[in-house]
Amino acid sequence: MAPSEHDRSAYLGGEDSPALTAAERAELDEVRALLRSPATWAEPDPGLEQSVVDAIASEAGRHAEAEAPAAPRRRRARREPRRTGRTWWRPIPALAGLAAAAAVVAALVVAVTSGGGSKPPVQYAMVVSGTRLAPLAGGDATLTKTESGWRIELSANGLPRLANGRYYEAWLKNPAGVLVPVGTFNDARKVTLWAGVPPTAFPSLTVTRQRVGANQRSSRERVLTGTIRARR
Amino acid sequence: VGAEALVDRGVRRRFREGDADAVRLVYRAYGRLVYAVAYRTLGDPGLAEEATQQAFLQAWRAAASLDEEREMAPWLATIARRAAIDVHRREQRRPADALETVAPDDPALSTRDASAEELYGVWEVRRAVADLAPDEQEIVRLQHFEGLTHGEIARRLDLPEGTVKSRSFRAHKRLAAQLQHMRHEPTDRPLP
Repeated sequence: MAPSEHDRSAYLGGEDSPALTAAERAELDEVRALLRSPATWAEPDPGLEQSVVDAIASEAGRHAEAEAPAAPRRRRARREPRRTGRTWWRPIPALAGLAAAAAVVAALVVAVTSGGGSKPPVQYAMVVSGTRLAPLAGGDATLTKTESGWRIELSANGLPRLANGRYYEAWLKNPAGVLVPVGTFNDARKVTLWAGVPPTAFPSLTVTRQRVGANQRSSRERVLTGTIRARR
Repeated sequence: VGAEALVDRGVRRRFREGDADAVRLVYRAYGRLVYAVAYRTLGDPGLAEEATQQAFLQAWRAAASLDEEREMAPWLATIARRAAIDVHRREQRRPADALETVAPDDPALSTRDASAEELYGVWEVRRAVADLAPDEQEIVRLQHFEGLTHGEIARRLDLPEGTVKSRSFRAHKRLAAQLQHMRHEPTDRPLP
């Protein structure tokens, strides 16, 4: 090893190396500063890899759909609701399995009553769409009435996992704009939330980005929204 | 660098197509480097993760411009820096809170205006550290990040002090060799 290389290694390791010039010391001081930096040693959350894979898969899927032949796509667009900000409600498959889809939709309004022992649970479903803060986000939510309250099972892709003092918070909102918090979480891909108010009175679900240390109100940074609408 | 070697031409092509396995390989090769650049820019782990995800999404969207024959690192480093700056600017536009209500460690209270050269340095140092053996990495981390002496490291790791000194020297020799290209003319290299 050349003497200067030895001197550089020693200086980088914290020893004094008088043979080095001031310029060489300055260069190595920059490296030493970077070795002290948290950025050099910080590790991302292990779940970030899956979030990245999901986000790209989700967007790749949308691109593939957009590039499909025009005529079939137009026909499908008329039949199938899409996650483009338009919201609707639909029976979930378990309920839909009882009859043809149209019949179940008609029956669902009737089903919002107190359930008997053998009756299927009262459930609603909604699509949630990303806002301009999270245009790639989207997913769905199922709301089930239980003895304890309303269980909300949210599944959304396209949102990064939040941690280290940042988190998501879900809210139900009534038409007057009153917000009821229904839970906080880090990863939106599979979340169970609980509400003490019925979605019939609080039909909108929103998810906001929140930060520890601020107050407990909504940050107003909405990343997901969805609304249950009674069908006629 | 080992993981980077797996990102060959075929993986780059499949990444462009959105293939999940290829995305995973690219993330494993470069995810920590992208995260390091984002963390250095934003100073917040959560925001850095968000910027990292955005960087990979933007990389996928821009993959048509990726030359399959060339290494992804400089291209991805540029995207990482831009994604982090985008998140930083968005955070600056957040509604202002009274100073006394803001947590002391809120990133809004610190200025992060890392230059392109500095971020290039973060990328390269993170890369060089990742190429060290795990026992060497740990000694370098304890020495620089935690500020321990060789004696303190020896006690922490339950190793003879002489072993710590020799591993430390070996690690720093490798780092110096790996980072030699950062000398003299850093601006001649592709900057993140």
